[in-house]
Amino acid sequence: MEEPDTLEHTYIIRPNYQHKFKVGVVKECIREVLKEQLGGTSYNPQLISTQCRSVADCIKEKLKDLGFDRYKLVVQVVIGEQRGEGVKMAARCFWDADTDGHAQDMFMNDSLFCVAAAFGCFYY
Amino acid sequence: MHSEKKPTMEDTWKTGDLEKHLKRGVYDEDNMRRKDRRRTDEEGKKGRSGDSERRHRDHEREATRERDRHRERDATGERTKPRDPDKDKDQDRRREGTRDRTAGRDERERDRRQERAEEKERVGDNSRARDRGHESRERRHERAEKDSRDGEREKRRVERDRERGTERERKREEGRDGDRERDRERTREKERDRDREKDRDREHNYERRKEKDRHRDRERGHSSKHVKEMNDYTEELQEKHYESKRENERRERHGEREHSRRKEDKEYQEQRRKEKEERERRHREREEHPRERRRREDGPKEEERERRRPERQEETRHRLSSDRRSHDQHGKRRPVEEGDGEDGLVQVAPEARLHSGRNRERQEPKETKVEKEEVEIEKVSAEGQGDEDEAEYYEEDFEDYEDDFEEIDESDREEGDDGAMSEEGHKEEEELSPQKRREIEEIRRAMNAENERVGSSQQWHAVEESEIAKRNSDVPQRKNTQHGKFIDFVAAKHREVGKKIASKQKKRSAELLRLIDLDFSVTFSLLDLPPVNEYDMYIKSFGTTNTKQAYVQCNEDNTDRDVQTEEIEADDKWTQHPGDSRTVCGGPKLISEASDESMAKMNIDSKRLAEFLLSASQVVAILLEEDRAEMHSWRKQKSQARTLSCSDGCLQLNTKLPFLHGREVSLISFSQVQRQTLLSVHGPTTKPSAVRLDSKTILCIWNIWQPSCPQKVLVYESEVLCCCFSPGKATLVFAGTAVGSVVVWDLREHSTLHQTLRIGDNDWTLRYPTFSTDSVLSPVGHFSSVRSVEPVPVAVAEGVRPELSLLPSHQESSGLSFQLASLDESGVMNLWVVVELPKADQAGSQTDLGLKPGGKVKLLHSSTLFTNESRSPQRDAVKTEPLRTLLLKFLPSDSSHFFIGTDMGLVTHGTRHGLKILPKFYRPQEDGLRPVHITAVDVSPFGEPLFLVGCADGSVRMHSVSSEQPVMEWSSSTAGQPVLSVQWALTRPGVFCVLDAASNLHVWDLLEKDYEPVATEELHSDRVTAMAVFGDPAKPNTLSGVSLAKQSGEIEIQYFSKRWAVPAPAEIDTLHNILNKSF
Repeated sequence: MEEPDTLEHTYIIRPNYQHKFKVGVVKECIREVLKEQLGGTSYNPQLISTQCRSVADCIKEKLKDLGFDRYKLVVQVVIGEQRGEGVKMAARCFWDADTDGHAQDMFMNDSLFCVAAAFGCFYY
Repeated sequence: MHSEKKPTMEDTWKTGDLEKHLKRGVYDEDNMRRKDRRRTDEEGKKGRSGDSERRHRDHEREATRERDRHRERDATGERTKPRDPDKDKDQDRRREGTRDRTAGRDERERDRRQERAEEKERVGDNSRARDRGHESRERRHERAEKDSRDGEREKRRVERDRERGTERERKREEGRDGDRERDRERTREKERDRDREKDRDREHNYERRKEKDRHRDRERGHSSKHVKEMNDYTEELQEKHYESKRENERRERHGEREHSRRKEDKEYQEQRRKEKEERERRHREREEHPRERRRREDGPKEEERERRRPERQEETRHRLSSDRRSHDQHGKRRPVEEGDGEDGLVQVAPEARLHSGRNRERQEPKETKVEKEEVEIEKVSAEGQGDEDEAEYYEEDFEDYEDDFEEIDESDREEGDDGAMSEEGHKEEEELSPQKRREIEEIRRAMNAENERVGSSQQWHAVEESEIAKRNSDVPQRKNTQHGKFIDFVAAKHREVGKKIASKQKKRSAELLRLIDLDFSVTFSLLDLPPVNEYDMYIKSFGTTNTKQAYVQCNEDNTDRDVQTEEIEADDKWTQHPGDSRTVCGGPKLISEASDESMAKMNIDSKRLAEFLLSASQVVAILLEEDRAEMHSWRKQKSQARTLSCSDGCLQLNTKLPFLHGREVSLISFSQVQRQTLLSVHGPTTKPSAVRLDSKTILCIWNIWQPSCPQKVLVYESEVLCCCFSPGKATLVFAGTAVGSVVVWDLREHSTLHQTLRIGDNDWTLRYPTFSTDSVLSPVGHFSSVRSVEPVPVAVAEGVRPELSLLPSHQESSGLSFQLASLDESGVMNLWVVVELPKADQAGSQTDLGLKPGGKVKLLHSSTLFTNESRSPQRDAVKTEPLRTLLLKFLPSDSSHFFIGTDMGLVTHGTRHGLKILPKFYRPQEDGLRPVHITAVDVSPFGEPLFLVGCADGSVRMHSVSSEQPVMEWSSSTAGQPVLSVQWALTRPGVFCVLDAASNLHVWDLLEKDYEPVATEELHSDRVTAMAVFGDPAKPNTLSGVSLAKQSGEIEIQYFSKRWAVPAPAEIDTLHNILNKSF
């Protein structure tokens, strides 16, 4: 209760420019991971769930290395089989558009499609 | 109520308990080492007290080891059961258990104590003080009865004792606890017979402890009495009794004191154990009774729990009320904290106190280590729960408690440790004692601060915790319950922490949200994969199958279009009628030009064609006629005796034409060049005929080889007295008429220019003269009937050979440039130049009125000669009347000389240029003028200067040009008949024919007979009106003869026989000789 800093809190409400969530970089990162992990694979319903998770983790780890300071990163990966059906995915975020961002990339081959989206939320 | 105040006073103990708890929580090797040290210290102390102690200790150690072993088993058995939510501490404990045997033992001992302590906690507030007493008693009890009982029994006993102790306490606090409970307690007491002795001991201890409690109460109650008592017990603590901060210290010292007391008890117990030493038995019992024990333990525990619930509630109530009353300076926090502490730890404090007497100094170094542990724990807690200050404080508390526990353990362990080790540890402890105090001070301060902070939790926290405690008490095992307790504590702490965090974050978020704008971002479309349409899907699957796509095109583009109608050709044409020029029709310019050209060509072609056809047709016709005529003549010759003796054949021209019917042939003339061409003049007839040409003269042009019909038919209005062909080709016909006009027919004119008349079965083109000199206003011309027309032969310079000169001259003059002489009865001779116009004028000429429209030949008057004037100076002066000139002949060898026959038997010799030449007249041999008409004059065609003159009196003279007198004169050759015609034969120079009016034809051959005709033909059947000799000197055999025109109109052609036709060689020479002889 008797916190010494109750009176004067200083918050960082904006990231440093160099630490800002850079969509292009993230997108490139995602693209690389997708290409590396999914290139040459085909849809196997038994393996795909683990693969999906590993892709997501891989992306997250890579993003962590990119130095987005004070960012909470959320990575969502969806892998589906290509069967000619129409697919529509959308995301909606309640956030501070100035600091937060998202990047997404897609990978497709004959048997599967994969959408990976990374959301970065600034942690004030 | 003093007793009421007791629980509040027990708060002071709580810090000690906390320390013990914390100590227990932090089990690591350092701790173990420390404990060992302490143990050695303790033993060292014990060693001081006596050797027997050591022995006791040895025994005790063995015993404790045994116990520990058993406990281990128990512990393992128990630990497998679900203990408490606070796993961290469990794990710590487990770890310790596995680490070191001794350490495990220590732990277990501690655990045991804790269990006990917790059990005691559950006892009501009032009994707490007694509980502490119980614990001390327990331990004493244990030591005392170890000879006769095993560790398990001890435990059971301890439990029972505790229960009993609590019961007793309750008895004492009758105001609060019901009698019922006490009765229950008593029944349980009876069950446990042996324990009563220990109870007594415990009571003894309890009384002592009671005093201490009282002291504590007094301290908290700020009584001066308490201060004095504290002075009695402690050397160091005096003036700080009132201050709550120092309370922790005091508690510790109390613990130390108790520790010292306990030490004494332990010694006593050890001695007793030594005496008995019934390890084997204990062992057996343990094996026999574990289940029983548990049963027993379970039963009373549950009972205890039941009992404790109301008690605890009361406790809390008490605490709240008493704290409010007594501890103003702590505020509300204090009682809560106390409550926390009280639950589990208060009872341990007295045990610590027991040790304090002996261990006080040893405790200090231990506490320093405790602090270190605290730090470590802080770190751990920080990791686990975030950077929460309060959590740290909590941990500190726990550590404090654990320290307390450790002390207890150490006190227990003292008994089993080696003496040497304990001595060494003791020394160390003594050395560290001043530090220790300082640290204790620090810890106290920290705890106070923590207490204040914890105090922030509201009252309901307390209630909650009590409830949690109850829940945890449900755990069957003691150890579990103990753990549960611990977990309760942690869970509460967690909750507290959670609350704190929540509130902090709430505040934080509230502050931040003012600064930040959150918004719903636009909906990001992460993926929009449209469905594949059917065709693509088909193609996709198609690609995998082994099929191909093929294209087929039907014959769509092979359409055909057909048009049946042909292109319409359009052309512009014009025409005019009557066409007055060559172009009668035409079209657009180009075509018209072309057509003009072609038409011109055509015209040219047609002209040439017409000419060609004309001549060709004539030739063909002639050939055909000749053939037939020959046949016919042969037949005639045989059948008829009409052929003349001198001739070997004859033929008749077909004059039986309708328009020639009834006409007398007045004249017959042959062309000098085209010797087969015959011109016959048919005079007008008086007999009416079908044809309306009666008053007109008809001239017919014949080809003697084509006797069937005349080639051309010429018509003139009046009587034609004379006629002749042009000197060259027989293209022009000249005629002198009775009316005094000279007319010209151009035979080349096209038939279209002339009137075509259908006579009988055939069309006849009747040609009218092309030019006529009888123009009205012309000053020149003849005013009397023209008696003779003669072409003026082209001048032949040398008179060498007339034949030779004549022929080429004729051929040359065929170009239509020649003169024509016409002589009328009055002696006027006109010379005309025959002019052929280059272009025919269809419309006629305005200057040349005599020219027929479209005609091209006209006569231009050249000169006029009056031939009669020269006659007067003749020696016959009687002749007053002028001579009638009847005949005109030109000398072929010299065209300027001409001979004119007159009506007085004289032939005038004249020239065209008026020159007088001799002889002027040619007279007969008989002198004297007589009115005799000269009927014929003919110049020798062979160029000889000889001419024959026929006279109407029947005489024939042959004159030489150079002499007035005739060379020969035959006056009676014709028997007095007038001579109609005299003509030289064309093929033989010495032969001539004479025709008289009696139709006798006399043929003379001067080479054979110069006195009489060689032959005389008498043609009486039909009077011969005219005669013409024809023949070609070049072809004497084939063409030589005489044509005879009959009165009936017939024209007969007689071919001379060879005798007459073919001249003998050198005939002219013989003729010359004959003539010379005659001269």
